[in-house]
Amino acid sequence: MLETLDVWSSALVAGLIAALMVPVNLMPDSVSEAFQYAFMQRALLTSMMVGAICGMLSCYVVLKRWSLLGDAISHAVLPGVAVAYLLGLPFFIGAFVTGALTSLGIGAIERHTRIKSDAAMGIMFTGAFALGVVLISKIASSTHLMHILFGNVLGVQQSALLLTLAASLVALLVVWLAYRPLMLYAFDPTQAQALGFNTGVIHYGLILLLTLTIVASLETVGIILVVAMLITPGATAHLLTDRFKTMLFISVGIGVGSAVLGLWLSFAFDVASGGTIVLVATGCFFTALLFSPKHGVLMRLWRHRSLGGAN
Amino acid sequence: MSSLPSQPASAIDVSGVYAAYQRQPVLEDIHLSLPSGRWTAIVGPNGAGKSTLFHVLTGSMKPLRGRVTAFGQAIEHHRKAGRIAYMAQREAIEWDFPISVWETVMSARYGHMRQDAWWRRLLPARWHSSRHRDAVEKALNDVDMLAYAERPIGALSGGQKKRVLLARALAQEASILLLDEPLAGVDPPSERLILDVLKREREAGRTIVMVTHDMPGARRYVDHVVLINRFIRGEGAPDEMLSDSKLAELAVSSIANSPADVGRVRLPAFASKE
Repeated sequence: MLETLDVWSSALVAGLIAALMVPVNLMPDSVSEAFQYAFMQRALLTSMMVGAICGMLSCYVVLKRWSLLGDAISHAVLPGVAVAYLLGLPFFIGAFVTGALTSLGIGAIERHTRIKSDAAMGIMFTGAFALGVVLISKIASSTHLMHILFGNVLGVQQSALLLTLAASLVALLVVWLAYRPLMLYAFDPTQAQALGFNTGVIHYGLILLLTLTIVASLETVGIILVVAMLITPGATAHLLTDRFKTMLFISVGIGVGSAVLGLWLSFAFDVASGGTIVLVATGCFFTALLFSPKHGVLMRLWRHRSLGGAN
Repeated sequence: MSSLPSQPASAIDVSGVYAAYQRQPVLEDIHLSLPSGRWTAIVGPNGAGKSTLFHVLTGSMKPLRGRVTAFGQAIEHHRKAGRIAYMAQREAIEWDFPISVWETVMSARYGHMRQDAWWRRLLPARWHSSRHRDAVEKALNDVDMLAYAERPIGALSGGQKKRVLLARALAQEASILLLDEPLAGVDPPSERLILDVLKREREAGRTIVMVTHDMPGARRYVDHVVLINRFIRGEGAPDEMLSDSKLAELAVSSIANSPADVGRVRLPAFASKE
């Protein structure tokens, strides 16, 4: 049973990579050359999927002002990885459990005490992160810690790739099926409540989806840099459009685009790939900040001046 | 108003409701029956519990005691069926949200879309049944905002935003409209437009309940007035309830502990000095 599953999943990954290589091989040799190695092909597929789901979720993170919550969950994943390692479980189970527990803990502190949410997040995620650092210092090498913190996309294994694929499919399906409740909840929670939607389920569902995305991105960009991928694409898209659906598509495009470009640049210049991916996304953000036709700085200055000239 | 039957059935019944914020009582022993097909104004000073009453009606706050029914059934049932539209006072709305005026009003139909065929629900709104689109178009037309349908919601002025939020409440085609200060912060032309729209909705048989501080508007338009300040301080026809003496009594009632005390409370000494 497990063997057939293994065969099928290998075939699926091989098929996906083969499909991905068709456009890559159409590129100039200087580009396609980098992707002739099997590890680069796996890295390309994984980081594209990570870019896509992080881009999708980042729209909700940015609009709901959940940037700090994303940061909190990503740090809280660390002790879970360590505990899973100790118990011999797959790392993502531990990561998901501690990530989810921490976000529930933050919600509980916020709701039942006078501590405000930013303080609650700060306390919970630094505490969980410190626990993770202590545990890992006891059981594993510092290389291991570096891989978790900053990603190791070039060393992605088949199992991690399949996890990312499964997480991407779940996230995509949830956002598609619950598109309207999720959008209404992000826009106007009071209205969602008044229309009879269960806002508690939507709230915690969105947090679990965020946790899932972070866990799936762990090996690619690492828990520090995943926060960037959960904020930057959405913030960039927000500067470029006034439609939510367009924002989703632009954001996913920026996520995937920075993953591909960043991976290639990191190979060409032999630098850390997680960092390069994030830098490309940051570059996109500043380009949009300056040149966005609607909400860009230059456009605003120009409009200001032309208004001033009219007076 | 003489054309209306003298004893209408009630749309919403509130019986024995108590509500509190952090153990501070806000509503006590509220008994109300809001007449069906009529326009009711809820009047009271700031902090009197008007918005809290609406939170209880919309289900965002659970009362400590008491129950609320609409047309004889639990109010949740009607809320889930989309029969109660609510326009909040200070909306928890993110105005920078990338959404157009049209989509904002269309969101009022999301509740009804749950009754559509499952495969329709997976498609974008433009492939939904045309009755959703018709309702949105009519509502935007009613508040004179159809020309702005494609604008982003954040690009509107304060009065225009209010009109769009009213359109959203109308597009739901609910039998009960709960409006928390629909006239606050609105310029006079928008105010008249909103009151006229509500008058037409009342004539179409909808039940309207609104919180307001606009006494001239209330005297002129509404059928029924509820005076509230932690307790119900009076209920009846506008002429009687909105008389100067009644309103003065209501303003003073904050100092009184219960309705029985109201008569005994004197105005503070400085107020009576010349």
